[in-house]
Amino acid sequence: MLNHRKFPVLLVMLLVISMVVTACGAKPTPVPTPVPAPTTAPVTQPTQPPAVQPTKAPAAGIDCMGAKAGDQISMLYQWSGAEEENLNKILKPLVDACGIVLAPESTRDQALLDTRVKAGTPPDIAFWNVTQLNQYKDLLKPLDTLGVHGANYAGYWQAIGTVGGQWLGLPVKADIKTIIWYSPVAFDAYGYKVPTTWAELDALVEKMVADGHVPWSLGMESGDATGWTGSDFIQDIMLVQKGPQYVDDLITGKAPYNDAGVKQAYETYGKWAKDPQYTVGGAKGTLSTGFLDAIYKVFADPAEAMLVKQSGFAGGAVKEKFPTLKYGSDYDFFGVPGAQGVQGGSDWMMMFSDKPAVKALVAYLSSDAGAAEWAKAGFDLSPNSKATAAYTDAALIKKGQILASAQGFTPDIGDTIPGGFGKAEWTAIVDFVNGADLDAALAAAAKVQAEATQ
Amino acid sequence: MSSRDDKVPKIMKQGRVAPWLYVAPALIVMSFFIVYPMVSTVLLSFRNADSTLPATAACIAGEPCWGIFENYRYALTSPIMLTAFRNNLLWILLMVSGTVAMGLLIAVLADRVRYERFAKAIIFLPMAISFVGAGVIWKFMYDYGSGKIQIGLLNAILKTVGVSAVSWLTQPGINNLALILVGIWMWTGFSMTILAAALRGVPTEIVEAARVDGATEWHVFWRIIVPVIMPTIAVVITTMVINVLKIFDIVYVMTGGNYGTEVIANRMYVEMYNSFQSGRATAIAVVLILVIIPAMIYNIRRFQEQEAIR
Repeated sequence: MLNHRKFPVLLVMLLVISMVVTACGAKPTPVPTPVPAPTTAPVTQPTQPPAVQPTKAPAAGIDCMGAKAGDQISMLYQWSGAEEENLNKILKPLVDACGIVLAPESTRDQALLDTRVKAGTPPDIAFWNVTQLNQYKDLLKPLDTLGVHGANYAGYWQAIGTVGGQWLGLPVKADIKTIIWYSPVAFDAYGYKVPTTWAELDALVEKMVADGHVPWSLGMESGDATGWTGSDFIQDIMLVQKGPQYVDDLITGKAPYNDAGVKQAYETYGKWAKDPQYTVGGAKGTLSTGFLDAIYKVFADPAEAMLVKQSGFAGGAVKEKFPTLKYGSDYDFFGVPGAQGVQGGSDWMMMFSDKPAVKALVAYLSSDAGAAEWAKAGFDLSPNSKATAAYTDAALIKKGQILASAQGFTPDIGDTIPGGFGKAEWTAIVDFVNGADLDAALAAAAKVQAEATQ
Repeated sequence: MSSRDDKVPKIMKQGRVAPWLYVAPALIVMSFFIVYPMVSTVLLSFRNADSTLPATAACIAGEPCWGIFENYRYALTSPIMLTAFRNNLLWILLMVSGTVAMGLLIAVLADRVRYERFAKAIIFLPMAISFVGAGVIWKFMYDYGSGKIQIGLLNAILKTVGVSAVSWLTQPGINNLALILVGIWMWTGFSMTILAAALRGVPTEIVEAARVDGATEWHVFWRIIVPVIMPTIAVVITTMVINVLKIFDIVYVMTGGNYGTEVIANRMYVEMYNSFQSGRATAIAVVLILVIIPAMIYNIRRFQEQEAIR
């Protein structure tokens, strides 16, 4: 009897305890540990395979800026593996020509950089994000004093890298998101042409609807990050309707997020994203189709849609899912037509030292020769305008042209504004697509924007 | 009396220090892992987003401001938190009553069949699945295929009977119920097990005496069994209330708090790890603790009462 009575209480207690333990326990906290990268071996031996013959040919374009053989540069960057190999390939001609020794460290942990800088022992060079230029503005050496070839950079790149009237950061790598993926095979079959203006895109979409096709695959489900695909598209629409300056104003808070221009972009997007004639499944499909599935729907057999707006990674996703499809004929992309600027991610080189070896590196990467090496390595795009003609990869050639003809480069609005704006932006998009009042949805996001940019 | 005391060797007597030595490990663990984080949480809730300034700094001119309680203004009055409170209330009402009713029903019914163990094992099984796993499983159940094929079980059934598919997780009004159903599915086994054990404790003499007196099974259940196991039911209810107030995993995995399904714990997570608003997140945590405390006090009282009866 007593056992019978005691049992439930004991069980409750055990279960409660186990629940508490499990609730507190397994929270996966990814601890980014700095991975010390293998330092690039000091290359002093001139024995090179004949394929790469940098010792003489590009030496003409390389200025060592007084750096002596054996001079060391400490570097900190987030790249690792293949990315790091790419960088080494790009820097090899300089290393060979001047005998500079690179001492890089690779980490994804920004705290490591912060700690070094605060401790007064920053690396000579850091490759990091544009926001760090403002953060470290008092410690960075202006590019003008480092022998930069400024003419190779579009005015907007210099403007982004300028803090307090001084050009502090050299953009070295960029990836653009302002592109739309399609199937050239399907376009040929139905007689569609790649649009070159927004009006042409609009007409093409209407023609597809008239032909009985679903033009867009706008699915954006992504767990608790649902909405980011929509935010990319809406920012592209703003770049078409308002231009890059407007996007920058939104980031700085000069234009409120419930401004008429934002509303217009949302309405343009909503016309497509909420209607089953224009996108797979209409509003419900947009909300509940995973962003990867959304890509596959355009290239599956039979295809469920004609167009998907997604960044460069979509190409890799298609290749993995449909190994038989070929880039260029089965899947390809075009720049969002009519966009006055592009959006994407960029990496910036910032210099905490002005010793000769650092100057040599700045001069090299900003030079024509450096641009050509970067383009050849195929390490995404180089903002250096001399790279445009030197890409060898078909996709990069096209992206390079899109970047070259852009009048501005904007980061992702949601990623750039701190304090939860990114999530608020997604919520606004999700609510809007789900039928909420647009003014109310934008006002809520604008409130967070105002708090973050005050 | 005193003479006998003197015979006890001194070493066996309890001094002033010895009791503390016994409790010291527990006290140290408690203070490190419970007291310190709690005090720190309360303090952080009065600071701004990155804990560098008092919460007052987050006030915007021309907008309502609660001074040092600014984070609590957000936690108690912001639209998203009001949605979260409303949803948590809905969760409590439906999930607690759902799990207790289902648990009791199954416990009573399973008592009368031969395959009792098997039936109970099936019902208890979801408890062994992690919340995240269950969320993923049910996401497939509710899947809304935007194309021609429905891979979600529920929508596939609807399609075969000729009803148009429902987007279970995004449609306001339906989605909260869909999520709560997952919670009930997971937790019914818990209340069933405890209630089944309590049923065993119901004295058979009383039940049989009632039957001899001509009571129907319905009467036996409502007039005898339920009153006898009432203390256990109360414990299950309060435990479930605490659980449901903390509900997070199901919402996080299945909707991410979108489409009007936000709950308090998910908002706390979003503020802390997506928005880096530690002030707001900790204020929500404190509010959550304050809401849970009455249920916990009640629960502890019940434990003590039961111990006293024994």
